[in-house]
Amino acid sequence: MQTKTILAALLATTLMTPHAFAQTVGPNGETATPTSEVVLSDDDIAALQGKGYKAALLWHTSSDFVNAVSAGAADEFARAGVEVVATTDAAFDAAKQRSDIETALVAGPDVILSLPVDPVTSAEAFRAAITDGVELVFLSNLPAGYVHGTDYAAVVTDDLFQMGKQAADTLAAAIGGKGQVGWIFHDADYYVTNQRDNAFKSVIESDYPDIEIVAEQGITDPARAEELASAMLLQNPDLAGIYVTWAEPADGVLAALRSAGNTETKIVTLDLSEPVALDMVRGGNVVGLVADEAYELGRAMAAAGLKGLLGEEVPAFVVAPALTVTADNVAEGWQQSLHRDAPASVLNAQ
Amino acid sequence: MSAPSSTAPSASPLHALLARVNLQQYVVYVGFLAIFLFFAIVLGDSGFLTQRNLVNILLQTAPATIMAIGLVFVLSAGEIDLSFGSTVAVSALCGAMAMAAVPQAALPVGVAAGIGTGLLVGAINGALIAWLRLPSFLVTLATMGLVSGIARSLTQLRSIPVTDPLFTGIFGSGTLFGIPSLIIWTLVAAVICHVAYRQTRFGAHVLATGDNARAAQVSGIKVTRIRLLVFMISGGLAGLAGLLYSGRLQAAKYTLGETDLMTVIAAVIVGGTLLNGGKGSIIGAIVGSLLMGMLNNGLILMGLSVSDQMIVRGLIILVAVAVSLREKSR
Repeated sequence: MQTKTILAALLATTLMTPHAFAQTVGPNGETATPTSEVVLSDDDIAALQGKGYKAALLWHTSSDFVNAVSAGAADEFARAGVEVVATTDAAFDAAKQRSDIETALVAGPDVILSLPVDPVTSAEAFRAAITDGVELVFLSNLPAGYVHGTDYAAVVTDDLFQMGKQAADTLAAAIGGKGQVGWIFHDADYYVTNQRDNAFKSVIESDYPDIEIVAEQGITDPARAEELASAMLLQNPDLAGIYVTWAEPADGVLAALRSAGNTETKIVTLDLSEPVALDMVRGGNVVGLVADEAYELGRAMAAAGLKGLLGEEVPAFVVAPALTVTADNVAEGWQQSLHRDAPASVLNAQ
Repeated sequence: MSAPSSTAPSASPLHALLARVNLQQYVVYVGFLAIFLFFAIVLGDSGFLTQRNLVNILLQTAPATIMAIGLVFVLSAGEIDLSFGSTVAVSALCGAMAMAAVPQAALPVGVAAGIGTGLLVGAINGALIAWLRLPSFLVTLATMGLVSGIARSLTQLRSIPVTDPLFTGIFGSGTLFGIPSLIIWTLVAAVICHVAYRQTRFGAHVLATGDNARAAQVSGIKVTRIRLLVFMISGGLAGLAGLLYSGRLQAAKYTLGETDLMTVIAAVIVGGTLLNGGKGSIIGAIVGSLLMGMLNNGLILMGLSVSDQMIVRGLIILVAVAVSLREKSR
């Protein structure tokens, strides 16, 4: 329901405004505030230090992305003298997330950063935290019916629309603005990937009249990407490019292209990952990776929670910028997104 | 009570009896106490010993404990059930959809649909295993995937809210005489199943079937019926666990129970039930399940990173299983 509303709002925005201004909108249609505007001042830091405040990071899964968000948040909390007392991984299980919340609350956190695994099931799960007076900052998803200011401090997310749009622009540039492309999307009701996938598709359809999406393939299991891509290439041998919903299935698509001896079809995908980045810097099929600034996202989540704790006004919907990484800026891109060096294999291959 | 197995490898009956009846079951209780004391000392000032936290552990483990009780019957009969985790999800979803369809009689309809779905999956498993004599590992591996797929397609991966206050009270957030309903359900399931397992002819027949099915058959036990029934018990209890999850979360989702499979199997084995049948303990499985829940809880409160939590949990389970298996083979 929530996702549908968001999607409808997204589509409405896409249809009504020129693309230069199209953007990710909040769960209740809020306009986005960039993360760069959510910053703890020196006075804030002074007011927070020595108070013994505690924080908990209750994630939905474990991944490179989550690690980078956690690192950004942990550094910001450390700067304000706030101790992180619990870190959890719900493995996308709503019941486990509820247990994680209850357990973490025993440690008495003042701020909780979390990605609610599902708007419906999470609504009840986070109630206990609200009752305890904890400042909640959500990543990407918002539990159904929650009210900004009273129930939660902020929702922070990637600029999901921009990620899809930049992927479309990158692929279009690589194939000279014309030709047939394939669209491999995440076939699940999941806000983050749905937004990005649909943004790619809508931008191609509206901004690039000479590019046609001739093959659409949903994917749920990244391990099956190779067979899906092989079938897609068999039915559409002239594909100029393929969009892949995220980097892990892109490995499989790359494998399919390699085993077919195909060096022509270009790939664009989302998120940074060593195997696809290596192919990109070696001049292979991969032409671009669109990433989010995950570390910055974590920093802004921590800052939003702490500002809420100080009783300051926090914008309801905050977005971290998107970032296109190509062979030319891979070293800088890794730093900007994940706040660490690109893998040695990628740097050495340049 | 099962007689000492005549098939126990290279162990005298006395040793087998000692290892099985005393030492092996001793392990889970000692382990539980040791870990409890460790957390109590290390996390004394982090809230581990607060009533709220201890009740949390009981509430959080309730659905897994109920699944574990069902699994004791299946393992004791010499079979395995890998499908109970996905049965939890499909039962919760069927219950929630039935309640949404008939809101004026949400409670009875939801309960019937939830438990009924669990029993049906159990009956299908049981029929394939009992009458067609297909191996339970493969049958339930297949139905695990089948049922998961059905759970996913039932609602196109969406969550179904459960709003009936009577249902969420009885199966989730309610209390009776100050005792949370989830704990009452666990106690009810534990007492009924423990008595059935220990004190009835049915329980003895389950153990005899698991110990030596051919001998059981020769002695007049209806092995086929026993096999069907143990899978229906496992399915029905998975259905109950699904209802408890949906009551607790006030919603049903296809992911419910998905991550419980390995935890529940580990809890049951650590609790003194043999993987290859003939011997088991309902109480041991409950303590094993609480042990798993307490581990999750304590490791989070220790402030460990997620990876470190997984490593420590894995090591502790390994030690517990190793100790209980060593005791067993003495």
